[in-house]
Amino acid sequence: MSTFDALREQLLDAAEEFSGGGDALSGILSGMVDDVDRMLGEKLEIFPVCHHSPASALAMTRRLRDKRPKVVYLELCEDLQPLLSELRNCRLPVALQAFATRLDGFPAGSGPLSVVAPVTEASAEYQAIAYALDTPGVELVLVDRSVDHVFQWLPREPADAGTGTGTAPDGHASPGSPAPSGGAASPGGAVSPGGAASPGGEADDGQDEEAALHGDAVGVEIGDLRPGFAELEAYLLHHGKVRHWSEWWDQYVEQPLAGADHDTYRQAMALVGSLFRRLRPSSGDRLAVDEERERYMWARIREHLAASGADPAECLYVCGAFHAVSRVAEFGLDSGAPPYTVTPRTATQWLYGLIPSSHSAIEAQFGLAQGSVSIAAATWAKATARGGVTPYRLAGQQGGRAGSGRTGKAGKNGKAGTAGKPVAPEPAPDRLSGFLAAPPALDGLDEDELRGWCVDIVRLARRNGYLASTADAIAVFETSILLAGVRGRARPTPYDFADAAVTCIEKDAVPGRRDVRRLCEILLGGDRVGVVGYEALPPLARDVYDRLEPLGIDLGRRTQQRVLLDLTANPELRPCSDLLWMLRYLLPDDAVRPIMGARRLGERPIQESWDLAIGRHQRSIVELGYEGVTVEQVLEQRLRRKVRDPRATAGTALEAVEDAILYLGGGRFADELGARAVELLAAERTVDDAPEVLRRIRRLLAHYRATGPGLPAWCEAFVTAGYAHYCTLLPSAFADDTGVRQVGAMLGFLFSMEGLALSLGCDRTQLELAVRQSHPEAPAKVALLWAAETQLGLLSRDELRARCDGLLDNPLVVPAFPLYLSGFVQALDPVPGLAPFVVEALSKAFARLPDPVLLPWLPTLITTLRRNVPELVPVLVREAGRTFPGGLAELDGWTPPWERPAAPARAVRAAPAPSGPVTGLLARHPAACDAVAGLLGCPADWPERPAGGVPDAGEERVRALLGRYPATAGAVAALLGG
Amino acid sequence: MNNEMLRAPAEVKYAEELDWLESVDDGPKPFSWRLSPKMVRLFILGSERSDGLDREIPQKWFGDRSFVERSIVTLASDRGLLLIGDPGTGKSWLAELLSAAICRNSTLVVQGTAGTTEDHIKYSWNVSMVIAKGQSRESMIPSPIMTAMERGMIGRFEELTRSTSDVQDALISILSEKYVSIPELDTDNTVFARPGFSIIATANSRDRGVNDLSSALKRRFNFVRIPVVTNRTSEAEIVRFRTTELLRRHRIELDVPPTLLDVLLQSFADLRAAAASAASEDEKLESALSTAEQIGVLEDAILHSHFFGDRALRAETLGGALVGSLARRSPEDLAILNKYWHGVVEPRSRKDGGEWTGFLEGGRQAISTLS
Repeated sequence: MSTFDALREQLLDAAEEFSGGGDALSGILSGMVDDVDRMLGEKLEIFPVCHHSPASALAMTRRLRDKRPKVVYLELCEDLQPLLSELRNCRLPVALQAFATRLDGFPAGSGPLSVVAPVTEASAEYQAIAYALDTPGVELVLVDRSVDHVFQWLPREPADAGTGTGTAPDGHASPGSPAPSGGAASPGGAVSPGGAASPGGEADDGQDEEAALHGDAVGVEIGDLRPGFAELEAYLLHHGKVRHWSEWWDQYVEQPLAGADHDTYRQAMALVGSLFRRLRPSSGDRLAVDEERERYMWARIREHLAASGADPAECLYVCGAFHAVSRVAEFGLDSGAPPYTVTPRTATQWLYGLIPSSHSAIEAQFGLAQGSVSIAAATWAKATARGGVTPYRLAGQQGGRAGSGRTGKAGKNGKAGTAGKPVAPEPAPDRLSGFLAAPPALDGLDEDELRGWCVDIVRLARRNGYLASTADAIAVFETSILLAGVRGRARPTPYDFADAAVTCIEKDAVPGRRDVRRLCEILLGGDRVGVVGYEALPPLARDVYDRLEPLGIDLGRRTQQRVLLDLTANPELRPCSDLLWMLRYLLPDDAVRPIMGARRLGERPIQESWDLAIGRHQRSIVELGYEGVTVEQVLEQRLRRKVRDPRATAGTALEAVEDAILYLGGGRFADELGARAVELLAAERTVDDAPEVLRRIRRLLAHYRATGPGLPAWCEAFVTAGYAHYCTLLPSAFADDTGVRQVGAMLGFLFSMEGLALSLGCDRTQLELAVRQSHPEAPAKVALLWAAETQLGLLSRDELRARCDGLLDNPLVVPAFPLYLSGFVQALDPVPGLAPFVVEALSKAFARLPDPVLLPWLPTLITTLRRNVPELVPVLVREAGRTFPGGLAELDGWTPPWERPAAPARAVRAAPAPSGPVTGLLARHPAACDAVAGLLGCPADWPERPAGGVPDAGEERVRALLGRYPATAGAVAALLGG
Repeated sequence: MNNEMLRAPAEVKYAEELDWLESVDDGPKPFSWRLSPKMVRLFILGSERSDGLDREIPQKWFGDRSFVERSIVTLASDRGLLLIGDPGTGKSWLAELLSAAICRNSTLVVQGTAGTTEDHIKYSWNVSMVIAKGQSRESMIPSPIMTAMERGMIGRFEELTRSTSDVQDALISILSEKYVSIPELDTDNTVFARPGFSIIATANSRDRGVNDLSSALKRRFNFVRIPVVTNRTSEAEIVRFRTTELLRRHRIELDVPPTLLDVLLQSFADLRAAAASAASEDEKLESALSTAEQIGVLEDAILHSHFFGDRALRAETLGGALVGSLARRSPEDLAILNKYWHGVVEPRSRKDGGEWTGFLEGGRQAISTLS
C-alpha cells in the first residue's frame, strides 16, 4: 500500500472526468504520483531544489540542521570542487569559472570555452556548501559531469557553442516570444549560453554592463525548473495571470512552500519536477543529455559510497527537482542496471577560477525576468531576518550581513546534534493531497512593508528627476492593493507593486537615466555585484593588485577612479605607469584609460593621469590570469601570437616590435619579433602595407639610433631585405593596380633607406634597373615614376618641367592633369627635393586648369593630404611658404620663381682653394691634376693666381691680428713643445 | 436601434453581453460601477474556460493584460486615466470599452481639437433661452464631462494633447476638487461629481511637444502607454476581428484568405523594421504603421474588390491598397515603398511565389501610377 494511493485514485477520477480516462492524461497524472513515490522510497535521501529559490534554501537549511548528513552529494560539475573553499574569500554573487583556450578534441575555432556556475547566497546549494565546508567531518562531493563533458555533450552541429550565438542550449524561451518547441527550455539541464536577451529589455547602460559580467560563457546551474516547451509555459502564465515565469514560480510554488515542512516541500518540488519532466518533448537532445547526466551522477554516488563506506542514511543528495524524479535505469542505489562507464575527458587543458557575477548577469544568462534574482535575495533576507532559521554561512565570508559568528556557533551546535541523533528514515505521510487541494496559504497583507516601499519609491523617483510627491505614494499604495485584488491575490506581490508604481509615477517621458520599473528593481533589492576576494584571485591578478598599491586607491571599488602620476616628483610610480600601460594594452578599453599622457617611442612621460575601473573589470583580469602568471608574460605571449598569426604582415610585426619596446623594454624579445618581421617581409607578395611598414621602420630606426650604440641585427636585415624586396616588386607595382600611395611608400623606403642599405652591401643598380623596367600607365603613377627618375638623376628638372607644361598645353590631356598632380603630391614623401617643383605644378594647375576639371579634383587632393598629414603636409607647406610672398603688399610685385627670366649664367667661381703647402705643390706641378681631369672628362681650368702668391684679404687680416697679439700663438707653441 | 446605426457604441453593441455579465457578477463593485473590476477585465479581454462562466465572452481588445488591469485600477482610484500611444494602437477603443463596461455609457466624449474651448469641458449657455428666461440651470448646456460628473459616469476626452494648454488645465479642478462652479448662478451654482465619475483621456504620442500637459495636470492622470502591437499572432487576431466587424457593417460577403493576411502582416513587419533602423525622418514612412493602419489597408482592398473587382480579395488589390494608404508624402514615402518593393517584395516573390507575385504586381502598378 503506497502513501499516495488515495491521491492517485483522486487524480485518476479527475482524468476520467475530463478526458474519459485510459489516455495520456491519466498516465501523466498517475505517473507523477509514482515519480514522487519512487523518490521518497529511495534509500539515499534526495533533496530536490530549484535555483534562486529562497524556499529551497530555507528548506535546505532546515533539513541540514535536522539531519546533519555526513556526506552531501551536489549536482555541480565535479571538477569545480577545489574552487568551493575559495568562496569564503569572495563577496557573493560570484561565479565558478572553467576556462580553456588550448583545445583538444573540440572543433577548431570553437574556443575559448568558458563555463560559469554562479553562486548566490540565497540558494540551496550555497547552504549545502557552507554547511559541508564548515562542519568538521562532513564531506561534500560534486557529482555532476565535468565541464569538459558539458561541451562534449553539447549538440555539435551548430559550430561554435562557446560563443553563445543562439546555438545548442538555447536555454529558455523568454515568456511571450514563441520559441521553437524543440529547444525551448532546459529543465534541470541548466546550460545557458551567455547573452540571452533578458525579458523586459529596459536595461539602462549600467545594467547592460552588469548583465554582461559573464561574458559569453556557458552557464551551468543547479535545479533549473521550467516548463519543457513554450506552449506549456505560455499556458501557465496565461492562467496564472502573471507576466513571466519568475512571477508564476514565485506565486504558485515559492510562496506556498516558503514555510512548508520538509515532507511537503520535498513532495511538492518532486511533483513539479515530475510535471515538467513528463510534459516535455521526448525527441529533444536535451532530455538525452539530462538522462546521461543522471546516469553519471548516480554512478559517481555509487562509486563514492563504495569507496568511503559511508552509510546512505547519513548522506544527502542535492539535485534539481527535475533530476530527483529521474526515470533512468541507473536511478537509486539498489538499481540493477549495468555499471555506467564515464566517457574520458578530452585532452583540453581546463583552468579554473572565480569571477564576479551579479544578479542581472544571472538573470540575463538564464533567461529570468529582470529583477527576479534580486527579489529572491530580498525574500531570503526577509525570511531569515524573521527568524526561525539560521542560515549557514562560510566562516569569513565577505559582504552581506555579519553572521559568520553566529554560523560558527550554529556549526558547533550542529556537531553536538550530529553525534546524538541519527535520523531514522520514516515513511513520509502524504502531504501532496493537502498541498494540491487547498489554495496556498499566503501571508496577509504586510501593510508596513508596502507602505515603506511606496514612500521609498517616491523618494527614489524624485531623486531621479520625477515630479513625484506624497500624493503619488498614496496612489501607489492604493493602486497596488487594487491591482492585487483584480489579479486575485490577497496581498500585492513585488510585481504588483512595480506595476502600480509605473502606473502612478511614470508619465509621458523618462526624465533621467532610469525609468520607474528600473527604480522598483533597485528598491526591491537592486542588483548586487559580487567581488572576488584577493586570496581567491589568480596569481596574475594578485600581482596586479600588489603592484598598483602605491597608487593608493581602492582597486575593489566599482566606480571609476582618477589617479595622477607625477613621475618626476615620484619616480617610484614609474613601475605603476608601466603596468598601467600594459593593462591598457591587454584589458577592454574602459578598464584603464589614460586621460593625459601617451606612450610613444622617444617620449618620456612627466605626468600621467588615468581613469581606472579595475574593480568593474575584475573578470577580465581574472581571465587574464588564465593566460599566465604575470602581465608581462601574458603580453609577451600575445605579441608572439600576433606575429605568428597566419594573417600577420610585416606591418603588424613591426607594430609588435614597437609594442615590445614600449611595454617590455625591447631587448632580446624585440629582436625576436623583429627577426620575424624580416621573414614576413621577405615572404610578402603584395605591397599593400608598404606605407605602414615605412612609417614604422623609420620610427624604429630613429629610436635605435637615438638610444643604442648601433642598429640591432634585425634592423639591418630588414633594411636590406626591404631594399631588395621593394626593388623587385617595383616594376609590377607600377604596372598593376597597386595604389599610388603604396608605390609612393615603396619609393620612400627605397630612397630614404638607400644610404643605410648601400652601406650594408646593397647595390644601387638594382634600384636603377627597377625604375627603368617600370612602365606605368596610370597618370598618377607616371608622375611618380618621373619623380623617381628625377631623384635618380635619370631626368633633369628642366625636362620634367617641359613634360608638365606639355601636358597642360595639350587639350586632350588636360582633364587627366589632376591625376598627374596626385602622383606628384605622393612624391613629396619619397623625393622631398622635388617640393619646389610640386608647388610649381600645383600653382600652374590652379592657374590654368578649367574649373570643371579643377574643382572635382580638389576634394581628392584635400582628402589625400588629410590622410597623410605627417608625411606630405609639412614639406608642402614649408615649400609653399618659401615660394609665395608673405604679405599682401608684396603680392603685387611678385612673379613666381618659375616665370622669372633665367638669371644670366654666372661665371662659375670655384671656391677659393685654401692656401698652404699642398695648394702650393699642386700649383707648381699641375700635370698630374690635369691628367686626372682629362680622364674624368672635365676641363682642367686653374684659377688665375697672381704670381708671387699674393695672399687673399682674409689671410692678411688673420696675419695682422696674430702679429698684434703674439702671446696666444706663443703659448700654443709652448704647449705643443715647439 | 442597433440596426439603424452605422456604428453602434460598445454599450449598445454588447448590451446583451453586459446585461448577462451584470447578472452573474457577484464581486465587489467600486462606487456606482455596473460591473466589478474583474468582470470589466473579462468583458474586455474575453473569458476562458477557467473563469467558469456559462457562456463564452469574446475578446474585444488585444494587448497586454496588465495594461487593462492598470487602466481599470486607475479608474477605481482617485485619478484620471490617460491612454497614450501611437495612432492606431486601440486607445480610443479601449476607452470606449472601459466606459461601456463600467457605466454603460461611452458617448460622453469631448473631442480635443485646436478649437476646443473651456465651454466644451464645463458648460455653455443656450443663448435664446438666456435672453428669454435669464441664466438658470435650464438654460445651461452641460458639457459631456459635466454630465458624467452629475451622473457618476466616465467622461472621455479624446486627443487631449490637441487642445491648447489653458483648455486642458480646466480639467485640473475637475479632477482634484471633483466639482464645477457656475458663478453666473446665484443658487444651485455648484455641480458636484457623484461617486463613479472619472475621466479617460487619450493622447497621441506623436503629438508630443505640440501642447504638452502641465505638470499639475500630469499629476492628476495615471499614464498607461499602449505600444504598437508587434506580436504576429495577436496582430493577426486584431486584424481579423476588426475586419469581420467592418464586413458586417458594410454587409459584404467576402473571405479574407489567411495567406493574404500573412502577406499583409509580413509586409508591415518589414516596414516597421525598416522604420526602426532608419536614420532620419525622411527615411521613415510618415505612417505609424499601426495595427489600425493595417485594418485600413485591408478594408480599402476589400471595398475595392467588392465594388470594382470580382468580389474576391486578390493579392494585386492588396498591394495597390497598401501603396495607396501608405504613400502620403511624395516623393519620400514613394521612394521608401519603391525601395521596399524592389529590395524585399521582388526577391520574396521569386523565392516564395504564391500571393507575393500578385502583391508585387499590384504594388508596382500603384507606385508607377502615383509617381
